[in-house]
Amino acid sequence: MVEPKLLDAEDYRRLCEYLYRHTGMAFTESRRYFVERRVEERMIATGSSSFASYFARLRANMQGELEKLINASTVNETYFYREDHQFACLTSNLLQERLRMKPPRETMRIWSVPCSTGEEPYSIAIWLLENWAEVDAHDVEIVGSDIDTHVLEAARAGIFGKRALMRLSPALTDKYFTPAAPEHWQIIDELRQSVRFTAANIVERAEMRPHGLFDVIFCRNLLIYFDDTSRRMAAENLYESLAPGGYICLGHAESMSRISSLFEVCRFADAIVYRKSPEAPHG
Amino acid sequence: MADRKMRILVVDDANLIRLYYRRILEEAGFEVEEALNGIEGLERLLVSPADALIVDINMPQMDGVTFLSALRRQALPLSSIPALVTSTESSAGDIATARAAGANFYCVKPIGREDLAGAMAMFCGVRA
Repeated sequence: MVEPKLLDAEDYRRLCEYLYRHTGMAFTESRRYFVERRVEERMIATGSSSFASYFARLRANMQGELEKLINASTVNETYFYREDHQFACLTSNLLQERLRMKPPRETMRIWSVPCSTGEEPYSIAIWLLENWAEVDAHDVEIVGSDIDTHVLEAARAGIFGKRALMRLSPALTDKYFTPAAPEHWQIIDELRQSVRFTAANIVERAEMRPHGLFDVIFCRNLLIYFDDTSRRMAAENLYESLAPGGYICLGHAESMSRISSLFEVCRFADAIVYRKSPEAPHG
Repeated sequence: MADRKMRILVVDDANLIRLYYRRILEEAGFEVEEALNGIEGLERLLVSPADALIVDINMPQMDGVTFLSALRRQALPLSSIPALVTSTESSAGDIATARAAGANFYCVKPIGREDLAGAMAMFCGVRA
């Protein structure tokens, strides 16, 4: 049976250090309750009688336990058209700027990382269809990536509840979703097929690199969970994943200038975004 | 003819573009079929003929020009389905090649909503 007081201070410190090394996410004392509950759930699920035996299991990564705990410990709440002023900036400025610089007919690549259950990459696809007059003149590739493999499965399935759709007009919901269950809607097949979902840990260079170079990256509300070191690593990996002159959009509470000097700040009418210098060397 | 919707086949390899055209055409009152390339387009037409076609040029496996040449060699009425070619290729040579292969009309992408729906209405002989 699980003891009421699950982790002492030293256990918690060791666990956080371990998670930090593998995810870059800094779980501080303020998130202790949340983390303990997740550990408790995983201990029950694995039949571990003590934290020590669970921790041994975690470190041996028995039956993918590390991934399971990470899946349980990440925050995945988001919704369609969240901070859509950045999507407005995408269609009124960023794509035109990129088209000016790219060789003709080269695919426009957009990355949503972390993509959670798919709301953001699908929002981008819908936004482009609704608001970009040139959408039929360019090949667009939208990729959604996340460290949490459970959310990727959900993203591929594309079934959403009322809360996720609250910012979409009924007309858009009718146009791009079909009713799937009471109070749930599934995004239409054509859109599901238009977004590719992959697993990636943003602080792991080896997992980011194979995705290639992107024209625009949306990385919103993730860096706030990181400490300074992970943030810098994430910033460097994002920088490497951008084509020269490519843009990155962060959450409204985040500022790249405070994290890294690699990027230039760009002020557009609808949003402030960051750019990799067009003169930056390839790769 | 007013008792059924006019059917348009969109042949384009890009998911988003097919969806974009489908939504415009459905809002304009057409029924829409889709194919990802020329081969699938021909297969689709053999099963259920369309009243008009929208055909992209650059597609994997069978491009739009090859598709149209193959279609025009079929028996009537299949061979005579009017085709709008849509492409980002805009040179006179590209347009001439598409016309020689059997394109009735050529539009350089991007195409405005009204232009797309209007062209299909003209091809099908219905009110725009």
